[in-house]
Amino acid sequence: MTLWTGPLLPLVALVWPLLLAALTVLPPLQGRAVRLLPFAPLPALWLAVTGAEDVTTAPDLLLGVTLGLDGARRLLLGMTAALWLLAGLAAQPMSGRPHTAIFAGFWYLTLAGNLGIFLALDVVTFYVAFAAVSLAAWFLIVHDRTKQALRAGRVYIVIAISGEVFLLLGLLLGAAAAGGVDIAAVRAALGTSGAGPVAIALLVAGFGIKAGLVPLHVWLPLAHPAAPVPASAVLSGAIVKAGLFGLILFLPDGAYGALLMGLGLTGAFGAALWGLTQTNPKAVLAYSTVSQMGLMVMFVGAGGAARELTPFYALHHGFAKGALFLLVGVMLAARTSRQRMLCLALAGVVAASVAGLPLSGGALAKAAVKPGLPDAAALLVSLSSIFTSLVLVWFLRRLWLLPVSDTPSTQTPARFIPSVLAAIFAFAGPWLFWAGWTGRDTFYPFAATSIFDALWPVAIALPVALILLRQRLPEYPPGDLLFLMPSWRLPKVEAPRQTPCAGGDRLVDLLPQAIAKADRFLIRWSISGALLPILVFGFLVLLM
Amino acid sequence: VTALLPVLVLLTSLLPAVITFFVRQESHRLRNALSLGGAVLKVALIVAMLFAVARGASYETEIPLAPGLILLLRIDALALLFVSLSAVLWLLTTIYAIAYFGTKPELSRFFGFFSLCVAATTGIALSGSLISFFIFFELLTLSTWPLVAHKQDEPSLRAARRYLLYALPCSAALLWAIVWLESSTGPVLFTEPPDLSGIDPMSLKAIFALFIVGVGMKAAIVPLHGWLPAAMAAPAPVSALLHAVAVVKAGAFGVIRVIYDVFGVERVAELGVGTPLAALASATIIWGSVRALRQDGIKKRLAYSTVSQVSYIVLGAALASPFGIIGGLAHLVHQGLMKITLFFCAGIYDERAGVRTIDGLNGLGPRMPWTSTCFSLGALGMIGLPPLAGFVSKIYLGLGGLQANAPWVLPVLGASTLLNAAYFLPLLYRLWFLEPRSDARGNENAPALVGPAVIAALGALGAGMLAASPVSPLDWARLIAERGEMR
Repeated sequence: MTLWTGPLLPLVALVWPLLLAALTVLPPLQGRAVRLLPFAPLPALWLAVTGAEDVTTAPDLLLGVTLGLDGARRLLLGMTAALWLLAGLAAQPMSGRPHTAIFAGFWYLTLAGNLGIFLALDVVTFYVAFAAVSLAAWFLIVHDRTKQALRAGRVYIVIAISGEVFLLLGLLLGAAAAGGVDIAAVRAALGTSGAGPVAIALLVAGFGIKAGLVPLHVWLPLAHPAAPVPASAVLSGAIVKAGLFGLILFLPDGAYGALLMGLGLTGAFGAALWGLTQTNPKAVLAYSTVSQMGLMVMFVGAGGAARELTPFYALHHGFAKGALFLLVGVMLAARTSRQRMLCLALAGVVAASVAGLPLSGGALAKAAVKPGLPDAAALLVSLSSIFTSLVLVWFLRRLWLLPVSDTPSTQTPARFIPSVLAAIFAFAGPWLFWAGWTGRDTFYPFAATSIFDALWPVAIALPVALILLRQRLPEYPPGDLLFLMPSWRLPKVEAPRQTPCAGGDRLVDLLPQAIAKADRFLIRWSISGALLPILVFGFLVLLM
Repeated sequence: VTALLPVLVLLTSLLPAVITFFVRQESHRLRNALSLGGAVLKVALIVAMLFAVARGASYETEIPLAPGLILLLRIDALALLFVSLSAVLWLLTTIYAIAYFGTKPELSRFFGFFSLCVAATTGIALSGSLISFFIFFELLTLSTWPLVAHKQDEPSLRAARRYLLYALPCSAALLWAIVWLESSTGPVLFTEPPDLSGIDPMSLKAIFALFIVGVGMKAAIVPLHGWLPAAMAAPAPVSALLHAVAVVKAGAFGVIRVIYDVFGVERVAELGVGTPLAALASATIIWGSVRALRQDGIKKRLAYSTVSQVSYIVLGAALASPFGIIGGLAHLVHQGLMKITLFFCAGIYDERAGVRTIDGLNGLGPRMPWTSTCFSLGALGMIGLPPLAGFVSKIYLGLGGLQANAPWVLPVLGASTLLNAAYFLPLLYRLWFLEPRSDARGNENAPALVGPAVIAALGALGAGMLAASPVSPLDWARLIAERGEMR
């Protein structure tokens, strides 16, 4: 029995949050469970920064766990761990509120799953991690236990469980085709085997649900606003990336390329437009996430260099979207107008980055991906920046319109720290990894063509946005397609009504009840019981 | 001594059974000592044998009952899989039952038949020949009846009657099949494949069908499943043992024996009877789940869930591919651990909170955290969520279906997962998220009730978490498949 081989750190990175989850059960820690949240992703962060690319195996765990790192995994693992760390800091004011022990416990579980997705080298570990992140996240969504949150939870759990099933079946087909559980081998086999197209379709559905791929995105605009702010930040920044990374990992290059690009673009433009009908700033952000994830799915569908650089794009979006969600929390707690102004300004800066203002992290992310795309697609990415700008301006307006907090909240300045850090990472991260990921020199973003390329969509968007802000836009509840489909009844998690169970199993009741006489057989229990084995044997001896 | 081991294992349950019948009702200590002593001794014997059998040993005892009729008991890896499960769960259930019944009446009768039931199950596992198998199979039928009828109220008696109404005709079918088969082949030993070439294929198909009717009734294959949901009228420890080990597993084990050791995989494939059986199992999986959706009683819902889950084992056996049978055998143990957890908890809810219907579960989670956590684990495992044991079975069965060129198994597994989620998740939601009813009471200060549930739940968790380790049920199932004990 070997416990593990290879470096221990990847295993520690996953076990450590689980250990913390177990600790939250202890009564003395229950009240203060939230205090430990920032510590959970530390080993993973350390791993992303320093870890070697050796394979770690734990042959006895699950069906044999194999973990490892490569460039894309390291980048996304680092982003995810850092974002969870910042969100953990931002969650500190929740300490002492009801149900926080449960919140913390499932926070750790979701985190462990989220990290496991970027570390798993085999299909089974990946599936387990994905299930953990999917299902544990439910508890983050329903934490407030409001009617709205529970409703979002209902929609989420139905979609998430269906996603699990798609994923399991797709992975089974893949593993059977590959004759093994190595993820790289499964991807190779999916490209060649006869069952490939079915398996890939199942995987696209399973991952698409998590990645907010239209039309499977309907849970997202309900869930993100319903969750507490720190949870929305990781949901929108890190957890949706799990689905995206699944697509990158398993899809053979170019598989269902046209379909993915089509759906991705539909999301990129459609969700941004629908976001303009939202009143809740978090719902606006959720639609912006659907829009951005649509772009990333499109990159994956395009294949080639664009697909290779999708993690680089995801790095920026993760931090930027995390920062924006955290700023909603800051705004809700802000008391003075100075604090509100500062919050709005910060949100404006981050939003500009997402829109791709020149020299921002977002501009770099877009500049990195565009050369790998066909010309038409690259143009569409630029055009989508216009829509991104519009929806984010709308977000800023909705953020500003949030009611001023009347409950006295403490340490408002400290609340800025996590969002400021996330914003800094969003700006600096792409610069830091630019040369290594794109292979182009550091001054490329400063070139006139690059500046112009990033500037014109924003330049078009700003006047439109100014007009838009003066309009009264229609207001729709979040969830779009859910309401466009009248036949879709929200599945109730409540138990079915009382239904007398009739028919089906009553065959025997129709037979005469003469057998009731056999009851008397039981009169002398001790005798008949002891005789029973003897009788059975005896009967058979006579029979032969 | 080693030649006597199979008999010793059998006697650890049979002797306490027979003695218990003559213990006075008031002698609680003596009776408990007998049951517990037998159970502990049995587990100890099993553990010792697990090590030996893992190294390749096997034990065999022949007892001549009459000229031409030999009771053949044999312990190999396959037999040991089933015996270990029944021994461990018997011990847990005994502890639970002692606490559950306290000083209620007619306990000597109960524990006597309870031990007898386990002895019969052990006998079924150890049987090395078809006729030995039949003897113990019938012993099981008869010894289970008083357990179902134990409460002696109208529903229990009706349930017990229904059980016999299903069991006896099916036993006749089984006997018919055996006599028909052995009249041309002579006595069938599980170690030596019988020569079936002398029987024409039509007759063989008919014999196979009779066998499946005979053993499938205990495995609650649709449409022979009606007795099982009714039998939930029995006390909780009985339901626990019935649903996890004794009766339904005996049926599933019987299906495995018939396919692998009586007919053999090649012959089953040649006759083309494997696919219809797999289809029947799939239909049972879906049907049981659909029916479970509509049940308001906790135990009734669990009972239909059993109908569905036991057919996973039958499905794995009928697919007859290596992964399929590994999945089926592993699920034999996995389902046992998860389902006994659920029934233990259902019993605790009934005893300690007076809750029998699902709407009574509202808000019980925080009041009874240990019980409810175990219940949640069992339910999530049934859905097949990792890292609980159920997902391992599901992966192997799915791969087994693909290996057997039966990709339609995948949608069946998928639908079953969704249905399981649909009838289990609302219970968990009620437990943990809804407000308790105004008349709610309940506490779980009963370590002897909660303890076995916790151990079983940990077992289900461990079987999934450590599936690849050498101590897991999955590994033992692999060992059985590799040794070719399944032909």
